[in-house]
Amino acid sequence: FAVLGPERPQVVSHVQQTLSYTVFDCKWVPRSARLMCLGSAARGTGVIQLYELHGARLEVLREIKKPKPIKCGTFGATSLQQRYLATGDFDGNLNIWNLEAPEIPVYSVKGHKEIINSIDGVGGLGIGEGAPEIVTGSRDGTVKVWDPRQNDTPVANMEPLQGESKRDCWTVAFGNAYNQEERVVCAGYDNGDIKLFDLKTMSLRWETNIKNGVCSVEFDRKDINMNKLVATSLEGKFHVFDMRTQHPTKGFASVSEKAQKSTIWQVRHLPQNRDIFMTSGGSGSLHLWKYEYPAQRSKKDSEGSEMGVAGSLSLLQNVTLSTQPISSLDWSPDKKGLCVCGAFDQTVRVLIVTKLNKI
Amino acid sequence: MPVWLREHSWRQSLSAVYLSLPLRGARATAANIFCSEQYLKVSIPPFLFEAVLYAPIDDTNSTAKIGNGNISFTLYKKEPAMWDSLTLANADKEKLQHLRENAVLKAQEKAKEETEAKKITKQENKKYALEATMKLEEAERKRIEDLKEKERQKVTKELELWKNQQKDGDKYKSIQAREELHQEKEPLKERKNEKMNKSQIPNEGSSKTRLRSTRGCHGSCSIFSQDLKEEQLPAPRAAATIKVNFTPRVFPTALRESRVAEEEEWLHKQAEARRIINSDLSELEDLKEEEKNPDWLKDKGNKMFAMGDYLGAVNAYNLAVRLNNKLPLLYLNRAACHLKLRNLHKAIEDSSKALELLTPPVPDNENARLKAHVRRGTAFCQLELYTEGLQDYEAALKIDPKNKIIEKDAEKIRQLIQGTMQSS
Repeated sequence: FAVLGPERPQVVSHVQQTLSYTVFDCKWVPRSARLMCLGSAARGTGVIQLYELHGARLEVLREIKKPKPIKCGTFGATSLQQRYLATGDFDGNLNIWNLEAPEIPVYSVKGHKEIINSIDGVGGLGIGEGAPEIVTGSRDGTVKVWDPRQNDTPVANMEPLQGESKRDCWTVAFGNAYNQEERVVCAGYDNGDIKLFDLKTMSLRWETNIKNGVCSVEFDRKDINMNKLVATSLEGKFHVFDMRTQHPTKGFASVSEKAQKSTIWQVRHLPQNRDIFMTSGGSGSLHLWKYEYPAQRSKKDSEGSEMGVAGSLSLLQNVTLSTQPISSLDWSPDKKGLCVCGAFDQTVRVLIVTKLNKI
Repeated sequence: MPVWLREHSWRQSLSAVYLSLPLRGARATAANIFCSEQYLKVSIPPFLFEAVLYAPIDDTNSTAKIGNGNISFTLYKKEPAMWDSLTLANADKEKLQHLRENAVLKAQEKAKEETEAKKITKQENKKYALEATMKLEEAERKRIEDLKEKERQKVTKELELWKNQQKDGDKYKSIQAREELHQEKEPLKERKNEKMNKSQIPNEGSSKTRLRSTRGCHGSCSIFSQDLKEEQLPAPRAAATIKVNFTPRVFPTALRESRVAEEEEWLHKQAEARRIINSDLSELEDLKEEEKNPDWLKDKGNKMFAMGDYLGAVNAYNLAVRLNNKLPLLYLNRAACHLKLRNLHKAIEDSSKALELLTPPVPDNENARLKAHVRRGTAFCQLELYTEGLQDYEAALKIDPKNKIIEKDAEKIRQLIQGTMQSS
């Protein structure tokens, strides 16, 4: 079940950098060898640091301080020239920054009443079609979609019914953005709910409960007809859903794997190969997985409705880098196999995964 | 009696003695030959040949060849000299015995030494083998490490190369960006898209070729096409809200599969507790304050019992139990009422419940337990379950051996039991 021998991809640790703050998110700046680290300083203020890879070290290019700690960020909704960073902070503010002039945000809104746990952007970076949009998920139980051209009000708001108790939204992801109209948002909550919202019809398209709080969801590609969705959760489990076939009652077919005893904090698909993804765990380990499609991706059930068939997973490699959870992970969209991860031991590591061409 | 073999023949040289022993049909193996420095014995039952040699020989190097119906010994003398005879003459019995014993001892010693030597060589061989395998494994490990190192270096070099290309690409982009900043007023309005296009096109021409020539930067075409796309961006979505409802969960913490059992148990217990309180509260709202106090109700019950109003007493105790079902005295007293009312089964039930609540059995609750046993015993007897009744009476006697009444009653029950046994 695991690829054996020296042909396995190796995870090579390239650079390790100790930070003076807790890092919550790290992202590559598109089209460059630069990366962003976002987090919270000991004083309770926010930090954004811009690093550049120089040989075997990371050189600090810029350090930006903000009044509130920052939880998450994305370059997903910005154009390749601008490369503005959208961030969500502990206070519920969504800001978009121009890193060359970071004193005043380019866009700012107090989007949520509580911390923004997760953010995603679509429509930028020359990927996909349609308007650039940003989605934020917060502890106040709501998921909101923003268009940077519209101030103050979100273009979509997924909130609990009146009087209903709220659950923390821990993760959000865009998907299915293959033309200008279609778009879905997937949200994962702390009570194990996963909900799929269709923005074209403004309705709930699918929901399920995976019995453990959902830490991270990601589609294998945002800009194609939705193909696969990986949802990771507490207790070391993750599920891969085949999103091509939706059964009227059973929903989407899935395969699940229990990789380790601890929480799986993040999942990230390799931008250059959508069937390879990496999960990062609470025990400081990274697991590299490959999904194999089944012989037939859909079949008919007893009533004749189409039902999806889930494939299988194989573990390509795993490595333990830290004793603390690795809470953030990002693949470089420009260099295959280059990735950055940030852990709660206040260290950011740049890794190279080799032999991905041979998979 | 062994048969002595006498027909041996021998000859000698300066350094060796050649002895030939005919076997007369018997078959010989190495086990039949015993040889030491000065003693030689061949024993093939029933045949026996022994010789105390004239002079010592080197028994380790001497050989014996078995074949052709005889054994040929080649014995190498320790001291090269000509022997007068093969064996020592005048060997008296004692000397022979002595020599024989010596020989045996010497042989044993030699055997021991040999085994020791063998053990030592075996150990050394093992050590050597171990060292050899360790070396091999070391070599293997090193090889793998080297492979990994090489990969690492290769990958690092590639990264450097790629990075340098990025840098070059970036330089041109930063020039563009600076120009844009000059021209922009409000970055994200739609009109800006068109302006950007207009100012970029003259620059794109020169930078496009440069960008295309750098490897790994696939972006040039898409940057260009994105500018065109920006003109056609759809308007922001019409704002809408989707209402969501969540899978219900009582706890504010996240759901973990491993904790579900614990949580269920906790909830169950909470529900129990709440039910008890709630049921009282809902029905007893119209009661007076004192009537909600179990102790007050117990006293009321006691008074009614004393006056003979057994039903009223039972009611009082019932209410008290609903408010607090952990007071043993309530059940005890209710048992007494039931006895009087001849509700014998209920009396047994209540006494049993009282006893249950009166664990652990300590001197403090002796009195109560005594009463409970007696009441239950009485109820059993009245139901004609005399053996069970006796059991309870005996338990009561154990608590208070000096109680005459209980003793008398117990005796009565015993007689009743014997009586029924005799008649049946």
